[in-house]
Amino acid sequence: MVDLTDGPHDALGIELNVNGELVSSTVPVRQSLADWLRAELGLFSIHLGCEHGVCGACTILVDGRSVRSCLMLAVQADGTDITTAEHLAEEGGLNSLQASFNQHGALQCGYCTPGFLMTATEYLREGGTPDRERIKERLAGNLCRCTGYQSIVEAVASAAEELDDQ
Amino acid sequence: MTGIGKPLDRKENRRFLTGGGRFIADLDVAGVHDAVFVRSSLAHGSIHSIDSSDALAADGVVAVLTADDLDDDSNAIERTFYTLDPAFVEEASVFLAPYSEPLFARERVVRSGEALAMVVATDRAAAEDGRDLVFADIDPLEVVADIEAALEVDSPQIHPDIPGNLHGRFAVKVGHPEAVETGHSVTGRFRVHRSLGSPIENRGVIAEWSDGKLTVWSTTQIPHVLKSFLCEALGLSEESVRVAAPDVGGSFGGGIYPEEILVPWAAMKLGVPIRWLEDRTEQLSGSRHSRDQVIDATLSFGSNGKFEALSMRILQDCGAFNPFGITLPYNSASHARSVYRIDNFSCEALCVATNKTRNTPVRGAGRPEVIFVLERLIDMAAEETGIDAVALRRQNLIRAEEMPFPMGMLYRDGVPMVYDSGDFPAQFELALDISDYPELKRQKAEANEQGRLLGVGVATHVEGTGFGPHETAVVGVDFKGEVYVHTGAQPHGQGLETSLAQVCSEVLDLEANRITVWGGDTALTETGGGTFGSRSAVTAGSAVLEASRQLRDRALGLAATALGSESSQLELRDGLVTDGKRTVTFAELALVASEDEGLPLEATIEWTPPTVTFGSGTAVALVEVDQETGLVDVLEYTAVDDCGTVLNPAVVKGQLEGGVVHGLGNALLEEARYDDQGQFLTGSFMDYLLPTAMDVPQMKVAHRSHPTPLNPLGAKGVGEGTTSSAPAAIINAICDALGVQATEMPLTPERIRGLLTGKAKETAWS
Repeated sequence: MVDLTDGPHDALGIELNVNGELVSSTVPVRQSLADWLRAELGLFSIHLGCEHGVCGACTILVDGRSVRSCLMLAVQADGTDITTAEHLAEEGGLNSLQASFNQHGALQCGYCTPGFLMTATEYLREGGTPDRERIKERLAGNLCRCTGYQSIVEAVASAAEELDDQ
Repeated sequence: MTGIGKPLDRKENRRFLTGGGRFIADLDVAGVHDAVFVRSSLAHGSIHSIDSSDALAADGVVAVLTADDLDDDSNAIERTFYTLDPAFVEEASVFLAPYSEPLFARERVVRSGEALAMVVATDRAAAEDGRDLVFADIDPLEVVADIEAALEVDSPQIHPDIPGNLHGRFAVKVGHPEAVETGHSVTGRFRVHRSLGSPIENRGVIAEWSDGKLTVWSTTQIPHVLKSFLCEALGLSEESVRVAAPDVGGSFGGGIYPEEILVPWAAMKLGVPIRWLEDRTEQLSGSRHSRDQVIDATLSFGSNGKFEALSMRILQDCGAFNPFGITLPYNSASHARSVYRIDNFSCEALCVATNKTRNTPVRGAGRPEVIFVLERLIDMAAEETGIDAVALRRQNLIRAEEMPFPMGMLYRDGVPMVYDSGDFPAQFELALDISDYPELKRQKAEANEQGRLLGVGVATHVEGTGFGPHETAVVGVDFKGEVYVHTGAQPHGQGLETSLAQVCSEVLDLEANRITVWGGDTALTETGGGTFGSRSAVTAGSAVLEASRQLRDRALGLAATALGSESSQLELRDGLVTDGKRTVTFAELALVASEDEGLPLEATIEWTPPTVTFGSGTAVALVEVDQETGLVDVLEYTAVDDCGTVLNPAVVKGQLEGGVVHGLGNALLEEARYDDQGQFLTGSFMDYLLPTAMDVPQMKVAHRSHPTPLNPLGAKGVGEGTTSSAPAAIINAICDALGVQATEMPLTPERIRGLLTGKAKETAWS
């Protein structure tokens, strides 16, 4: 673990798991997790729509929980396990949630999409049901300006139904 | 098959779902430096000095550029976004003050957020640190933050060459509204507050100057237009500039911005690639502002409810600069009568200068404002006459047999405005059917008995779409036999990679997923218009259709020679041409074209629409208002739209639903606020509220397709129509629930509480 009491530092070493791979790096202490994942690891599914924690386009999973990566520092991610939209499916494929987004037309410009996928992934992993009202509530922290949300809600509901059936 | 009208999954989806989209911030340009802007904190002031010395000494900062680095001639954008036909200017009594928008503020600032300096550094953090060290000494001047105050005789002047703060003006008249004396009319002063485009991606520009060539990547909708601006501003030849848009995360409103000129200029000046990535506060405060009208309007009607005349006076708050001329209020004027027959009409509009961000077309672009006004006036007329609001609308609809219907005025392109196609009554009835209007009224009545406030609202819209000038398409076959479509259109969410492939697929009888569509890059097509104003299905679609046909004919001709048969006896399918016995492949034909004719197997079309074509629609909303909090829950929403030939129903459904929710935001939530000192108050998504999934009703959307005769596809645009009718339908429903006549949007909870309290007072007094 990074010892934050032994300061001040311009940069600190971190070690974490990103999309199934162990990564060690030295990071500037003031760099956001989003900036570091994009710049160092090229994880461009992380989109910085507002950088004040509202739009949700930078949502990733940290230890299985959805997190706005623009509001977390890279040093705080030491020792964590991170998943981004790049890692939802096998190379070249779509998982059932992604396939459902495709089928329901749940994306237009595609900018907010990875954030929605990660929020919905957390919902489904928690055993989320196809209840539209619950899905809307969960997705309310992600902004989309193109779709009007209905198709996204339907896509998540349909993915939840599919998981229910399994 | 995968041709026109098939609900194909979009080809672009896969990359966006897997993190494979490449937006401006994802581009890897070697040696790129980051730029940030120092912006004015004051809305109006004289610049005394800008001190960059501390910033220049900071780690990583390589330059701080200001107006002093530009000569006067090159420190302004003066080209506008309109060319008006002289006959139109005369007919509509158009006056326009000169437009000149500085790249960097020099001597004076006229809006908060105006660029004072650009800090260039080795990375963005260093540039932002540097920005904090630039000190601008500005003496405040009296601020004009109110549109009505701006027009007063003693108001401070924002620009010396714009007397009376008047950017522009026009007046149109149809029939003789002044002579109409029905004895029945409703009047109101309506306020449509400022709202924003707010795409989820912010803007960005990257420029690289190398070996006498300038390459610019921008989150633009109009790369060819940007290129011509750059050539002019930087004195470069057409051949030496390339403008390309990467994946773009929405737009909803456009134009050319000072930053798009300044970043390339700085890259040339400093000799390093430069990147500017806008932040959200810059986007909200300084990019895509719209609406912001005060409208005085009167609707006159006979005692039988027949609409006789509509007159309007529009004050449009254009902000400090007005690159769009009369575009927005003229859009208002030309859509103000919607689907109704109103033979007498007048509209006078004033484009007013204030110390605010410039006003630009945002989804709807002048239409949601007047549709709101008209549909409110109709509900007010219903109350006045005692005629049911739906019956009153029904009796005034332009009938199908009256189509094409001349509107008695010119459209903004100077062509007489005609509703070219559609069946408004059938569309209207379909919306009532789908929404089960009687059931909604029953629910309202039942809820009222329980003390709950439910209301039903109806509204309509028309939308002139497919505005000119031209759009370009190149359809070709490479040596591998792969078919490509290149277009000047610049998709940023519209699904054009799919729907344009479908148009080509239809003609070539080839699976759409074997056709690659690329747009938004001046290296791909010499000319191009871009994607705005609900135009690309019409303009790019028609260009792709015509180019595909030309390519097909050329392929058949080459195959006829190769096979020694008549081209009329050949069949073209799946990338092959056959006479029934022998076949040649597209790849072979591309080789033949190259060897025999020295030309690629390719066809290029620049397609120009004769004028706009009118889409139309009807909307029905059911809302519930919480009397304690003033919060509105839109429970159900139905939208029926006529966009002519539907290229891809899944894409169109997405446009309709997205448009409704944008309109819902305009009706209930979205307001870009300034204080009386011109300070922007809604600079974060905590202050400027976009609709979330929680705000969205159960939406039902349907098409009633009447193809237009004005283009070979029969397509009409669909991007903005539902945004235009949604605020009116929702606010009419709220008024129905509350039993009041509101004249303002958005109806935020505080305004609704105000309406409820006002009504309570009224009741107490009477």
